[in-house]
Amino acid sequence: MKNKFGKFTGLTTFTLVLVFLYIPILLLIIYSFNNSRIISTWRGFTFKYYIELFQNREILLAFRNTMIIGCLTTIISTLLGIVSALALENKRFKGIKFFSGLIFLPLVMPDILLGISLALFFSFLKIEMGMLTVLIAHISFCLSYTIIVIQSRLEGFDYSLEEAAMDLGANKWQIFYKIKFPLMLPGIVAAALLSFTLSIDDFVITFFTSGRGFNTLPVYVEGAIRRGTITTINALSTLMIVFTIFLAVVSRRIRKYIL
Amino acid sequence: MNNELRAQRKKEISSWILSLPALIWLLVFFLIPYFIILLYSFFESGIYDVEPILTLSAYKEVLTKPYISSFYLSIKLAFYTTVICLIAGYPVAYVIARASEKYKNLLIILIVIPFWTNFVIRIFSWRIFLAPDGLLNTMLIGLNFINDPIRLLRTDFAVLLVMVYVYLPYMILPLYSAIEKIDFSLLDAAMDLGANPIKAFLKITLPLSKQGILAGTILVFIPALGAYIIPQLVGNQNSLLIGQVITYKIKNIPRNWPVASALSFFLVLLIGVFLLVFYYLNKRVKQKGIIIDEE
Repeated sequence: MKNKFGKFTGLTTFTLVLVFLYIPILLLIIYSFNNSRIISTWRGFTFKYYIELFQNREILLAFRNTMIIGCLTTIISTLLGIVSALALENKRFKGIKFFSGLIFLPLVMPDILLGISLALFFSFLKIEMGMLTVLIAHISFCLSYTIIVIQSRLEGFDYSLEEAAMDLGANKWQIFYKIKFPLMLPGIVAAALLSFTLSIDDFVITFFTSGRGFNTLPVYVEGAIRRGTITTINALSTLMIVFTIFLAVVSRRIRKYIL
Repeated sequence: MNNELRAQRKKEISSWILSLPALIWLLVFFLIPYFIILLYSFFESGIYDVEPILTLSAYKEVLTKPYISSFYLSIKLAFYTTVICLIAGYPVAYVIARASEKYKNLLIILIVIPFWTNFVIRIFSWRIFLAPDGLLNTMLIGLNFINDPIRLLRTDFAVLLVMVYVYLPYMILPLYSAIEKIDFSLLDAAMDLGANPIKAFLKITLPLSKQGILAGTILVFIPALGAYIIPQLVGNQNSLLIGQVITYKIKNIPRNWPVASALSFFLVLLIGVFLLVFYYLNKRVKQKGIIIDEE
C-alpha cells in the first residue's frame, strides 16, 4: 500500500525489460520462415531455408568443428580445473596469491585482448593458425572459470571426513576416489557445462585465432552476415537457439540428478 | 613438531606440483602473449608483420586525433551502457529478489533464456528489428510519429541499444544476489519510524546493495569498452570504436601490428586504472559496512 508506486515501477520495468530481451529473438525465429530474399519484409511461410541449410556442406563442417572444439576444450579445461582446485585447497600454499591472481586476471580482460595477444603470440612463434590454435585459445579463456567453479565447491569441505577415513586405514587414492571426488562432482559438472557453453558461444577469440581455413559456427555466421547470404542465417540461428535451449534443459536435468 | 613440519612441506610440494599444469598454461598462453603485445608496440611496422627495430613511432601515431576520438567514443558508450544497465537492471533485480521463493528461479530463468542464444545471433537479430523497413520503423510510421523510415541501424544509438541488450543480465545477476541478502525488516522498521519509501530506499537498500552495483559495473563496463562485434554489425562505420580499430589494424590490409599493439596496451592500462579505482571503492564499502555494524 505504502509502496504502491515503487511496486508499480518495479513491475513495469520488469515487463518492459522482458519485452526488450525477447523481441529481437522472436522476430528472428519468425523471419526464418519468411519466403523472401529481403530480410525484413514478410512474403509468406516457407521451410525452404531449413532445407537449404542441411545441404550446405560448409555449415555442417562448421558445426562439426564447433562440437569438436567444444568437447576437447571442456575435457581439458575441466581436468586442469580439478587439479588446480586441489592445489588451491592448501591455504598455506606459498604460491597461492600469485596463482589466484593469474586465474582472476583473464576474467576481467575483454575477450578481444585475449584474441589479439594470442594471435600475435602465435605469429611470433610462426605457428600456423587452425584447429590447434583455436583449441589452445578456448582452453585459455575457459580455464579460469573451471578452476573457480570447482574450487568454490571445495570451499566448505569438511576435512574431518578425510582424517576419519585415514584413521580407518584408507590410502590417499581411496580418500580421493571415495570422499573428495563425489563431493567435487557437482562442481565438476557445472564447470564442464560452463566451459562447453562458453566455447560454442565464442566468436571474438576464435575469429582472431582460427586462420583462413578453419570455421566454427559463430565465425561462419559472422562471415555469412558480412557476405550478405542472410536468409539461411535466420534458419541457422533458429536451429542454434533450439539447440542451446535443449542443451540448457539437459544440463539442468543432469545437475538435478547429480545434486 | 618435526613431523608436522615435514607434513607441511610435503603438502607445499604437492600443491606446487598440482598447480603447475594450469600455472604453466596461463603463463604461456595468457601472460606471455601480453608481453608480446608490449614488445610489438615498440617495433616498426613491416610488409608482412613487424620489423624488429625499436621505435616509438607506434605510440606517436596512436596519440593522434582519430585514435583518441575512438577511445573517447568507446569510453563514452561503455559509460552510457553501464548507467542504463544499472537504471534498468536495478528494478528488475529488486523485483526478482523480493518475489516469493516459488517464482524466483523462474524469473531468473526468464532473464537468462535469451542468453542461451549465440552471441553473434543475438546481435544480428537486432538488424531485423532496426532495419529501414523493419518492425520498429513500421511501428513508428504506423503510430504517425514519423513519415519516412529513419536511420536506426549503423548509428551510435544502435550500438548503445545492443550493448545494453547484451550486457544487461551481467548487471541484473550480481545486483540480484546483493539485494537478496538484504534484511528487509530494516526497511519496514525505517518506514515505521516515519521514513518515506524513497528515503528508506536511499538510506538502506541502495547502500546495502553497493557491492552488487560495483560487481555489475565491472562486468558491464569492461567488455563494453572492448566491444568489437556489436559496433561491427550495427554501428556507424564512420566513427569506429577502439575494438574495431585494433581489429582492422591486425586483420585488414594495410596492417599495422605495432599500432594495434600500442592501442591494446592503452586499453589494458585503462582497464587497470578502472579496476584499481574499483578495488579501492570496494575496500571502502567493506570498511564502512563494519562501521555501520558497530554502531
